[in-house]
Amino acid sequence: MSVPVIATRGYVAGYERDLPIVKGIDFTLAKGEFVAIFGPNGAGKSTFVKAIAGVVPCFGGTVELDGADITGHKPHEILKRGMAFVPQTENIFTTLTIRENLQLASQPLPRERQTGAIERMFEMFPDLARQSGRLAGALSGGQRQMLAAARALLLEPSVLVLDEPSAGLSPKLVSDVFATLKEISQSGVTILLVEQNVRAALRIVERGVVLVDGQLRYDASAQELIDHPNLGALFLGAEGAHA
Amino acid sequence: MNPQVLIDGLISGSMIGLGAIGLTLVYSILRFPNFAHGELITWGAYFAMSVAALLGGLVAGATAPLGPFSFGWGLIVAAVVAMGLTAVLALALDTVLFKLFRQRQSVMIIVVMASFGASMALRSLLEFIYTARPGYFTRELQIAMPLGGGMRATPDQLLALAMTGVLVVAVHLLLTRTPTGRAMRAVSENPGLAGLFGVDVDKVIRTVWILGAALACAAGIIAGLLVQIRPYMGFDLLLPLFAAAILGGIGSVPGAILGGLIVGLGEALAVQFVGAQWRAGVAFFILIAILLVRPTGIFGRQA
Amino acid sequence: MSPELVAYGAFFLTMALTYAIVCLGLNVQWGQTGLFNVGIAAFVAVGAYGSAILTTPDTADRIGGFGLPLFAGWAGGAALAALLAFLIGWLTIRLRADYLAITTFGVSVTVQLAALNLTSLTGGPFGISFIPRPFGDLAGNALAFSLANLAIVAGVVLVTYLILERLVRSPWGRVLRAIREDEVAAQALGKSPKWLRIQAFTLGGAIMGLAGAVQAHFIGFIAPENYLPMITFQVWAMLIVGGSGNNRGAILGAILVWALWALSGQLIEATFPAGSQARAASLRLVVIGVALCVILLWRPQGILREVRTLSRHAIKGK
Repeated sequence: MSVPVIATRGYVAGYERDLPIVKGIDFTLAKGEFVAIFGPNGAGKSTFVKAIAGVVPCFGGTVELDGADITGHKPHEILKRGMAFVPQTENIFTTLTIRENLQLASQPLPRERQTGAIERMFEMFPDLARQSGRLAGALSGGQRQMLAAARALLLEPSVLVLDEPSAGLSPKLVSDVFATLKEISQSGVTILLVEQNVRAALRIVERGVVLVDGQLRYDASAQELIDHPNLGALFLGAEGAHA
Repeated sequence: MNPQVLIDGLISGSMIGLGAIGLTLVYSILRFPNFAHGELITWGAYFAMSVAALLGGLVAGATAPLGPFSFGWGLIVAAVVAMGLTAVLALALDTVLFKLFRQRQSVMIIVVMASFGASMALRSLLEFIYTARPGYFTRELQIAMPLGGGMRATPDQLLALAMTGVLVVAVHLLLTRTPTGRAMRAVSENPGLAGLFGVDVDKVIRTVWILGAALACAAGIIAGLLVQIRPYMGFDLLLPLFAAAILGGIGSVPGAILGGLIVGLGEALAVQFVGAQWRAGVAFFILIAILLVRPTGIFGRQA
Repeated sequence: MSPELVAYGAFFLTMALTYAIVCLGLNVQWGQTGLFNVGIAAFVAVGAYGSAILTTPDTADRIGGFGLPLFAGWAGGAALAALLAFLIGWLTIRLRADYLAITTFGVSVTVQLAALNLTSLTGGPFGISFIPRPFGDLAGNALAFSLANLAIVAGVVLVTYLILERLVRSPWGRVLRAIREDEVAAQALGKSPKWLRIQAFTLGGAIMGLAGAVQAHFIGFIAPENYLPMITFQVWAMLIVGGSGNNRGAILGAILVWALWALSGQLIEATFPAGSQARAASLRLVVIGVALCVILLWRPQGILREVRTLSRHAIKGK
């Protein structure tokens, strides 16, 4: 079996050492997979992905990216190793223009490749290209998510991690965002996302894991999760109210 | 009105503006008003004075006046060295103090207090080393040249104005046109997100300290050249610096220099119409006025 | 013990206790409410000058000199400082926490300037002398005079302490702490954090003004150089050493820091030749500055903690 893209072992993380939110998680993500993390509010889903991305401190266990230990690394180092993380909110710079956002994101690349990478994103998201000189703060919610995705994809990461990309969007925009993610996944990018929108997400992902109280409770294929009667009653039913 | 007020105000305003740029950059990117910024100005001036004195002692002719100016090439070399030394001081202060608060995620006001304590320690240390006796870069006296319209200025003063202009334009271009400046603006808006965009936030913070310290040093050297060098020179400038930075809008380089010029002109007007002893109160009244009317400053973003 | 030593001890303790009053005032602002005041010297000065102008006998070269009784002076000094604190609080507390710091710094510069230059009111650089001293008729007997003054200042400290302790435990004090710890939640309870903060800042300013008045009458003479920014540093060091949020800590810190200050002053006098004493004194300020930073880093809660459990939010950002 090839080396997993992400592998955590006994992973503990949170905002304060004596109050961990993620309480020992073993999780692997294989190359090319498209996986969603579900769980009730306060289960530690967001904290888990933020900690993997280096935003929240890790207090125990390890996380590997493509076989290399990245535990405790800084966000910009983790990004350079191939993991791009898109936070749920405040995921673009509102006081920079769209082009400046992408320019900033391209700075880790060698100088001669920066312009090409930005142009490629503008081809992928023509909406952004049309208003490249506007301040990102003037964009609508859906456009912001597009810009956030574009800047994350710009470095051609080996894995894309998203924290609730559908939060706060209208149903039409949610399906747009999910369709875009599906395309990105089909182009070969490994994707891990945190979602509250369980039923919609299960239609596009291949596998789902469920976190409860900072621990991994369930790990199954999307089909299994859809078919699972108990899980539906126990968890998806309750979460379904949010969807 | 005596038109000389305009020249006097521009000259002291450009000193205030230079100091305020460093202050406003640190304020917006490290997110705290650094009460020790005045000490960077003072230390910068003392560094330059010491290096210049050393050069003057070692190399004959280092202090011989250059052209119409009152100082020799020794001071120019000393200025460059002093900017480097002031930057090292700022980085050292960050390492032993401010960085630790960042790591602990302390609330901002604790950091402000620490900067207040650091300002006291740094200022008193200078007083201990150099005593409170004022120092001078040069003993040369300069004749003010007529500029027309009843205004006069010494060559040193004109050079100070020109240097300020060059430095301000350079910093403005750095911020708006270069990748470093883009990264600085990004960290200023959201340091956490900047890291996720691949920005090395620690490196940006170092850059800000180096830039702010070098500008503070330049302000200190100009103040030392035009007035005198005292352990309290930077501390006495602190209120005008804050007034200028808030007046211009925190984080705005053109705002800081404009704010500095307004405070400088206000001081010059006060000296002429109210009396020199009230000069130090002008910055306070400008500060109160701006907080009443437009707390975000001229170029500030609405919070 | 010789009477001289007792008199000196009483004198020292009385000075320390006047600082303890300032410290109690700062504790209302910082310890209870989280408001950062960099202009303590200004509020102390306003109280001192206010009381001095009200109580000194009429003089030819100065406006004022109303010859009012001591307690009227104390009350007037406190009221003037409260007014200043209210205006500053009203202006800045609605804005940002850091603007309050910068503005109070500006106030300290400006009050210093006014004390120096409003000669017809403040006596300018020479200040105001012949401020009536409590128990002035005992001045012939150093011991009795010192002890009587110690008693009256200790009484002021005690009364201030008891009032503040009551306030801390009152609904008002609880809401203050609630907004310090979690502004949003307090707002949800229908409390206006800004107004409460302004009240606390004003109360703290009044206490500082009272302290300035008490101190001025104890010394009998005031001048602008008594109110340099150094006082602000000293009082901050006192509160931080003693423990912010804790009124007993504020008093203890004041006595402790004042003792260290006085002792190090004597040490410098004894060890350094007259010519280099000013230099040595500046080294003492370096130590205070460094100590302030070290305490903030190492033990931001001070020697005595706040009586109730201190929320993490008071130290750490969210």
